[in-house]
Amino acid sequence: MEGRQKWAMTVDVDRCIGCQACVIACQSENNIPISDEPLFNQRRAMEWIRIERYWEGEFPDVKARFIPIFCQHCDDAPCEPVCPVYATYHNSEGLNVQVYNRCIGSRLCVNNCPYQVRYFNFWEPEWPESLQNQLNPDVTVRSRGIMEKCTFCIQRIRRTGREAKRDGRKVEDGDRGLNPACVNACPTDTLVFGDVMDPDSRVSKLKEKEMSEDGRGYHLLGSLGTGPNVIYLKKVDEHASGPTHA
Amino acid sequence: MRSGSADDGHTAVSGPVEVSRDLLERTRPASRLFWWAAGGSAALLALGVIGFVIRLGDGIEKTDPWGYYAALVAFLLTTAQAAPMVAIAPRLAKAHWRRPISRAAEIFGVVGVLNLILFIPLVWVLPDLGDGRRSLWFFGEVRSMPAHMPHIVTTISMTALAVVGCALLWVSSLPDLASIRDNSGGRRRRIFAKLANGWHGTSRQWFTQYHRLGILGAFYFMMLVFTHFAFSVEFGMSLVPGWIDALFPATHAANSLQAGVATVLVVMFLLRRFCGFGDYIELDQFWGLGKLLFALSLLWFWFWFSSFIILWYGKKPNEEAVLDLMMVGPYMPAFVTAFVLNFVAPLFMMVWNPVRKSIWGPTLVATGVLIGTLFDRIRIYVSAYTVAGAEDKHEMHLPLPPANLPDLADVLLWVGALGGVALVYLMSTRVIPVINIWEQKEALLYKIHKPFHRTEVLVLGKKD
Amino acid sequence: MQEHIQLTQKEINRDLLSGVLKSPKWWLPAVLVLLVVFLIGAAAFGYLLNKGLGVTGLNRPVMWGVYLVSFVFWIGISHAGIMISAILRLTQAEWRRPVTRAAEVLTVFSLIAALLSAPLVHEGRPWRAGFPIPWIMPWDFARGIWPNIRSPFVWDPSAILTYLTASSLFIYVALIPDLAILRDRLSGWKSGFYSVLSLGWRGSPRQWKLQAVAGILLSALVLPVFVSVHSIVSWDFAVNIGAEGWHSTIFAPYFIIGAIHSGVAAVATVMVAMVWLWGWDRYLRPDHFDAIGRLLIVVGTTWFFFFFLEFVFAMYTLEGPELAMRDLQVFQYPWSILFVVFLITAFFFPVPMWLLKNVRRSMFWMFVTTLSVNVGMWLERFIIIIPGLLRRQPLVFDWGTYHPSIIEILMVAATFAWVLLGLLIFARIFPLIPLFDIKEGMVGREEIKIGRRKVAASIRE
Repeated sequence: MEGRQKWAMTVDVDRCIGCQACVIACQSENNIPISDEPLFNQRRAMEWIRIERYWEGEFPDVKARFIPIFCQHCDDAPCEPVCPVYATYHNSEGLNVQVYNRCIGSRLCVNNCPYQVRYFNFWEPEWPESLQNQLNPDVTVRSRGIMEKCTFCIQRIRRTGREAKRDGRKVEDGDRGLNPACVNACPTDTLVFGDVMDPDSRVSKLKEKEMSEDGRGYHLLGSLGTGPNVIYLKKVDEHASGPTHA
Repeated sequence: MRSGSADDGHTAVSGPVEVSRDLLERTRPASRLFWWAAGGSAALLALGVIGFVIRLGDGIEKTDPWGYYAALVAFLLTTAQAAPMVAIAPRLAKAHWRRPISRAAEIFGVVGVLNLILFIPLVWVLPDLGDGRRSLWFFGEVRSMPAHMPHIVTTISMTALAVVGCALLWVSSLPDLASIRDNSGGRRRRIFAKLANGWHGTSRQWFTQYHRLGILGAFYFMMLVFTHFAFSVEFGMSLVPGWIDALFPATHAANSLQAGVATVLVVMFLLRRFCGFGDYIELDQFWGLGKLLFALSLLWFWFWFSSFIILWYGKKPNEEAVLDLMMVGPYMPAFVTAFVLNFVAPLFMMVWNPVRKSIWGPTLVATGVLIGTLFDRIRIYVSAYTVAGAEDKHEMHLPLPPANLPDLADVLLWVGALGGVALVYLMSTRVIPVINIWEQKEALLYKIHKPFHRTEVLVLGKKD
Repeated sequence: MQEHIQLTQKEINRDLLSGVLKSPKWWLPAVLVLLVVFLIGAAAFGYLLNKGLGVTGLNRPVMWGVYLVSFVFWIGISHAGIMISAILRLTQAEWRRPVTRAAEVLTVFSLIAALLSAPLVHEGRPWRAGFPIPWIMPWDFARGIWPNIRSPFVWDPSAILTYLTASSLFIYVALIPDLAILRDRLSGWKSGFYSVLSLGWRGSPRQWKLQAVAGILLSALVLPVFVSVHSIVSWDFAVNIGAEGWHSTIFAPYFIIGAIHSGVAAVATVMVAMVWLWGWDRYLRPDHFDAIGRLLIVVGTTWFFFFFLEFVFAMYTLEGPELAMRDLQVFQYPWSILFVVFLITAFFFPVPMWLLKNVRRSMFWMFVTTLSVNVGMWLERFIIIIPGLLRRQPLVFDWGTYHPSIIEILMVAATFAWVLLGLLIFARIFPLIPLFDIKEGMVGREEIKIGRRKVAASIRE
């Protein structure tokens, strides 16, 4: 493997304003079925990236806190060993990938995911006639009965890699073609995506700085030892009360 | 088919009268060998006292030096105090082969008193709940339980176990004590008349006898399980940060059943080899106990594996640290020894018919099991006492402390305690016949040989 | 056993073959009703297959529902057969004789019911799962894709299929002498059918010896399988670090002892049914119920101890998610009711009842108490699985509730119909009480006189 890569992301919780732009971008990039009201009421809605909102304090002194949660692409992903058919496994670029064709829908992986970021297709996905041409041709439309989850927009990673190879150049850090849809859509630069094997990438530098002794970085549910490739940077707020949830 | 072959439990001492006479005679004079053994045990016990004094010199503030001492108490709880179960369980199942060995197993109830005494210093060593240690006696985050709850409850249960053990022994030996009373005179008669507590063998007394034995047996078993539950958690698991293993108390108790059987097997062998009880303790007893030991060894593996796979599969840091501490880290040699002697050796030896159905086979395996249990308790308690008192109760932080090797005081303590067990046991046999006379005589009523077509068969009666 | 009845071989043949040689009046209507229930369940499965898992009540995060409950329940029931047959055979307990075959048959049909409950139907894409042969078959080996042997869902079908094979063999070996009797009593194609199945059994000493050896060997070999099956089923849950309530080392022994509890209770229920339906009260005596009642006291109490341990160590952690899950399980409305009902029906009602000798010796009360155990044990699995998934999680605001849909209920009902149907049809084709075993027991029965009393005894080799 020439130029090994390992993809990672940082999420600066301090910057997140909970605008849900990433959710919409993800929805349209990855052909995620439309999560309408009945689906939400059935508790079967799908959002590969979701914004969890926490209220803090009592009225009128109340604050909303947001945290985007999506697949953490763990190095020791609990979902991987339990899949009976290798539908989910770890690839050589540190991504936790889902092979739709192999998936039989046993849902053991969902139960074993402490972040609850894996989504199951309970129904055959349907789009209204007007949206048929909106589907992204680079992404498989999943049938019912299988799992799906955030892929770090692997189709974009693959395409830029392919094009870079064709043109004989290196994949650029921060290339908008490389970045997942959510990163491109984020208005506040909350999400930073890149290759941690490249010491000059923004994400490597952030990781080095923030995961050090006095940095803001942490892993979600770090006590489980799953080794996520997503680093969260905690909120800096002098009014914040007590330790945050994670 | 039978005629004299040992495996049908047909003893050479054939009638009830002969059994009584033979066994009663053996309670009278003590051989030279007996006094040598008793004297030797007493000498060892004295060494143990010296060891204890040295150990006290280290003070009780730090837990590290007391690891081997805790392992010792756990070892005796696991082996000697579980031995009465070998009398209780087959008695409830009405198995005939238990009869010659049930008394030898019950006498270990007295050892419970010794272990209770040994246990007392540990109560002072155990840190109280004030330091945020986990405990069974939780009550929400705000602890409303007294800080010494674990100490109190475990002491009570250890005491109850010792008392029930002695009570069981006494009740079960009432008819035999009465026989001794009736066959002796003078001061001895008066003493045994007291001990036999008016036993005359009326049908009413026998009726109560069977019920008392059943109830005390069941109660002993429950107390044993509860004591293992309390002791293993409060004096072992809760000292290790991040160790949460719901199966551990049950494993501790299941291991103790295995070790209890092994203890009795070894005692059987000694009684047969050195005390001339070969007419009573025959192949049948070794075979019966051997099968039990085999099954319990398989159980050892299953309990261990059930814990292991859950702790290992999830790769949670706190659980990996526990595995590191006790299985693959500094105590790996102890763990491997325990694993081999408690499971691998019993499996591969006992699966083989000629070994299972012999005198030496089960004895050898049982000796191995006892040694394995010793190492198993060492790897658990010694390691737990080295990490006790860590700041963070959720997870151990590397690096782990190196293995704590026994020093002179530990060796003296261990030797002394084992000598003490031997001494207590030997002295008890002076008062109580080591072979159960009444159960042995009862067996003669229930077992007959009858012709059947062209052969002769053994007919076994079952009391209801 | 005090009050046994000595019967001649002729009487034994007549009584025990009655269900096979002629059909009892109630048999056909009962079979038809059960068949209808089963077919409705099959139709419900067809609908599920057509529409997808959306027609169930499953949602996020409750990904496993009553299908898994039913699966664990039937696996639990299936432990009865081996418990009764193998362990009691190895320990030479006399009272096992009339019970063994019914228990083994219950094992086989409930194992198939377990397969029908979850592994074959609850996948998102059963056709991709290799329906009806599970995904453990390496279909794609040519492309270098093998099943993931690290997954509990590969251990699971492997263990269950091994268990199914072993227990079918177990039944068959014990059935051969009885098949030969049927062969000799019938004529025409029926005789041909049994003669093929009886493998040329003539009852020669060599054949008897081989049959006995095969029985003992299978008993010993099937025991590790029996232990492994439910351990592995429990690991489907316990290896998950994502579900706090499941991640407990005690699960394997806890599930096993629970399985024995429910399985032995189910055997007692079937025993009562055998007396009521076929009138075999000369074979199934109050003594038999007494013995199984005593066994149940021990098993039930041990089970309760493990339940207690599991619960105590969930609290022992004092960690938020675990406590939240227990709070849901014990104190939140629908689950709290189920929790209380579960405790009463699985333990606090039946076990104290069995302490009374009159209850153990009464068929009616044994029927009621053992049925109650299985109601409780079904609920036990329900409150382990559903609130275990439906808990408040650290990072999700999405915890709702779960109602089994009508489709799920019909399919679970069908598994019950399937097991009863299997038992009834088996009893119509093969004798449900082993004739040769009963006869052996009668021959080996003796009495010993002690003073003025007679004590029942048996011949030992």
